[in-house]
Amino acid sequence: MADDEDNASSVLDADTFIETESPEVIIARIEGKSRQVERLLRIPQYAEALETALMDAPTQTRDERCKSANWILVHRVLMATKDVDGLLMGLNPELHDILMKYLYRGLATGDRITCDLCLRLHERLFDMAGIGCIMRAISDTQNLV
Amino acid sequence: MANTLRPYLTCIRNTLTAAMCLQNFPCQEVERHNKPEVEFKTSKELLLNPILICRNEAEKCLIESSINSLRISIKVKQADELENILAKKFLRFLSMRAESFQVLRRKPVQGYDISFLITNFHCEEMFKHKLIDFVVAFMEDIDKEISELKLSVNTRGRLVATEFLRQFT
Repeated sequence: MADDEDNASSVLDADTFIETESPEVIIARIEGKSRQVERLLRIPQYAEALETALMDAPTQTRDERCKSANWILVHRVLMATKDVDGLLMGLNPELHDILMKYLYRGLATGDRITCDLCLRLHERLFDMAGIGCIMRAISDTQNLV
Repeated sequence: MANTLRPYLTCIRNTLTAAMCLQNFPCQEVERHNKPEVEFKTSKELLLNPILICRNEAEKCLIESSINSLRISIKVKQADELENILAKKFLRFLSMRAESFQVLRRKPVQGYDISFLITNFHCEEMFKHKLIDFVVAFMEDIDKEISELKLSVNTRGRLVATEFLRQFT
């Protein structure tokens, strides 16, 4: 019986995964992305800006600064967009799940304007991506955004 | 205000539909026990990410789900002191009678006004979409109820004051 217990605890501790990239590298990459995003927002090309912000999101790390930095970037793009439907139409379907996770992060902030925007986006994204998208966002405990 | 209510309730409805996938799961630690895992939170692998949906600074809804149970905690809008007192009294009245509601929790989670606890047994007896309809309708009606209560308190106060002060004229 004691052996079973030891095995169980080692399986549960497996969530402390080895980080492949150091936080500094990730933050440098996010800064590079933010310059690109600013340039795209000035043109303005909102769909490409959102794709750039969502691509390579720091889900594999546990460092909070990287995650906040990327969230600030995504938030900037979402606030700058006027046309919500057009933005989601042009989005790559692979990025739907990441966007849903960011929307839930936005809804947790409590700021009125952010929540208003995130609620509208959530409705549209749900119509496009379906319930599976929400399911993956809430069940993925490893790749937190 | 109404323009954010619809998206807020839709978001909650969609999230609940996704989170309410419950199945029977006997307790892993204790033999022959069957506990709602979301309340005890003993094993991390049985829990889903908690979702917080805020409408604004005052109103929010926390949805915590696990393999066999789902907990929904709601903070209702309280604009002033009177609404604060009315909401507290009204929701305490409901929570005290949690037995007859079946899915209501006797005490709200810390930081919230009222909580629901839905287990797999509830989902087996009742329709899932009806349970979700119940929660969303509850949220819609609670605001109306509190406004009505506030109105009746003010009306009663005005009538009583008029009658009382009449004797001095």
